[in-house]
Amino acid sequence: MKIAAIAGSNANHSYNRMLLEFIAKQYKDTDEVDVIDIRDVPMFNENYKGRAPKVIADLDQRIGSADAVIIASPEYNHSITSALKSVIEWLSYEVHPLENKPVMIVGASTHEQGSSRSQVQLRDILISPGVNAQVYQGSEYFMSDVANVIDEDGNITDEMSIKFLDKCIDDFKIYARSINRMVEERAAEAAKKEAAKD
Amino acid sequence: MKKILALVGTNANFSYNRLLLKFMKKHFKQMADIEIYEISKLPAFSVDVPLEEQTEVWKLKQKVKAADGVIFSTPEYDHGIPAALKSAVEWLSYHTTVLKKKPVMVVGVSYGRQASARSQVQMRQILISPDCDANLMPGNEVLIGGATHVFSKDGRLVDTEMRDNLEECFTHFIEYIQIFENVDEEEVKMPIKQPRISEAYIKFPTGRLSLKEVQQIFSTIPFEIDLIDSSDRFAWYSDKPNREHVRDVASLNEPVTECHPPKAVPAVMAIINSFRDGKRDVVTRPLWMNGHRSLIQYYALRDVDGHYLGTIEFTGSVEYILSLFEKGAWDKGADASTGASKHEDAAEAEDNETADASTGASESSDDNEETTADASEPAGIEETDADTGASESGSVDADDEAADATTGASEEE
Ligand SMILES: Cc1cc2nc3c(=O)[nH]c(=O)nc-3n(C[C@H](O)[C@H](O)[C@H](O)COP(=O)(O)O)c2cc1C
Ligand SMILES: Cc1cc2nc3c(=O)[nH]c(=O)nc-3n(C[C@H](O)[C@H](O)[C@H](O)COP(=O)(O)O)c2cc1C
Repeated sequence: MKIAAIAGSNANHSYNRMLLEFIAKQYKDTDEVDVIDIRDVPMFNENYKGRAPKVIADLDQRIGSADAVIIASPEYNHSITSALKSVIEWLSYEVHPLENKPVMIVGASTHEQGSSRSQVQLRDILISPGVNAQVYQGSEYFMSDVANVIDEDGNITDEMSIKFLDKCIDDFKIYARSINRMVEERAAEAAKKEAAKD
Repeated sequence: MKKILALVGTNANFSYNRLLLKFMKKHFKQMADIEIYEISKLPAFSVDVPLEEQTEVWKLKQKVKAADGVIFSTPEYDHGIPAALKSAVEWLSYHTTVLKKKPVMVVGVSYGRQASARSQVQMRQILISPDCDANLMPGNEVLIGGATHVFSKDGRLVDTEMRDNLEECFTHFIEYIQIFENVDEEEVKMPIKQPRISEAYIKFPTGRLSLKEVQQIFSTIPFEIDLIDSSDRFAWYSDKPNREHVRDVASLNEPVTECHPPKAVPAVMAIINSFRDGKRDVVTRPLWMNGHRSLIQYYALRDVDGHYLGTIEFTGSVEYILSLFEKGAWDKGADASTGASKHEDAAEAEDNETADASTGASESSDDNEETTADASEPAGIEETDADTGASESGSVDADDEAADATTGASEEE
């Protein structure tokens, strides 16, 4: 499966990016995981109407062509980072690659709550009409106290954590396949109706 | 009148939320002084933005600190607050506590009937999260939907129901600010204006002073003093009238890196660290401030064993001293035996003042050179004379126009 994995942090040292890179490595035999680094995405601004920066077209292409999306969301002030919010705003403005896309939310935080609040918020944002993603509602994967779980080489040192991650991703892939089938069927139905009209 | 800072929650050139704040500024001008702040000036938040690029952030933090209350006007993007606004709040919560206990109010405008309700809920959650910890005014929702037809062409809110609600909520906000003010004044401002136990005495080996006297001595000597303590926090400043550096009690206890324009921080830390490491004891900066010749001297404050206690910044106009010098007050040379009378001559000739109001005796035994020697070694270190201090300061000055070790606010503005 082709998975676009968006790291929701613009920090040079980011546990969330490391988590996605770990997933990419872990699944390299079965899935093509494209880790998206958002550090070069500028702050969303409506003034750019009609002349969005080139990175946005690039994101549109990489996410649009994926079968599924994983977003790793850090938590700043009990909320998602401005950097990630900015990316979502770009992707709900002139291009809409997340529309109907199966999305799974994961997150790592250095605090105890492990980004759970920002995940809840991100879900609300992703299902708003302008984004309209198909957010996976199964197990929540959040990693608390991440500085003690991911080592500096990007390895998850906790076996339980890896096992649970595996289960979450396997479930999500099943969900993503069904969603994509549903979306295809819907499109086919609509096309049939269109054809019948003529 | 209350000072309110109002953040436009978007970086877009045209914004209904900006329109609302402009309307509020005019409409409530009898009640409050509302300053509108544009978040588009700020860099996008990232933990990796170098300090030198944070001048705008620093300025915003100063404004928040000085304000009695802050209003956030938020649009709604994808059922959340705009990234640009979130970024501004991240700056206001990162390595700073400017929002802590600050009275804040949330308002918002949007196109639809939902009127940014969802983003306002989110904004409120963010403002009460531990890193912000603001005093959020509960209730009092200002939800302005249908943006395109509730404002007149000249930007007035013409929907009477919405306007009534806005007036009510804003009045509540002013009252809300006042609740916390009363607490503040006692807790924070009192000890500054008047030492807490004014009747107490401090016994020094060389005599005793009442706290009131200590306070008034600091307020009377023509130099102002600021103290950065050994943990690099802005601990105290003297309450001298007409200070060169205008200080605010809200800055007390801030880390020294926080109460400075970011550009000045490296120079300031270089001075403090050289004091802490024992490499220097004084740095002198002659400069023009507020239109007159001034002198800033930083001294390492040490205990009798030489352990670092902090840095004092000693600042004042030297116009009076220089005018004495220029008029030849010391021209007759260092004649120790007649020091007293000469001093009196010069001073009396100029200002018709008595040279020494307390005791002429001590004056006559102190000749002028001795006095200078004393002044150059307050920290008890012999080799630090006025000259080395000055030359060292040259290197510090060169790349820094605002190396004010406590807070450069006034120089920067
Ligand atoms: C401005 C700011 C606010 C933060 N607020 C929270 C928070 O509310 N909850 C939390 O769990 N962690 C919070 N953190 C800590 C982050 O979880 C931590 O920095 C984490 O490493 C961010 O993810 P990253 O490593 O992928 O960048 C905050 C960090 C910053 C810089
Ligand atoms: C990326 C984007 C997402 C938006 N999402 C929402 C939304 O979820 N709900 C809503 O009421 N309006 C939404 N809007 C419309 C804004 O409410 C509208 O642009 C409004 O004028 C913004 O406030 P401003 O005029 O102060 O900039 C969205 C606009 C943009 C550009």
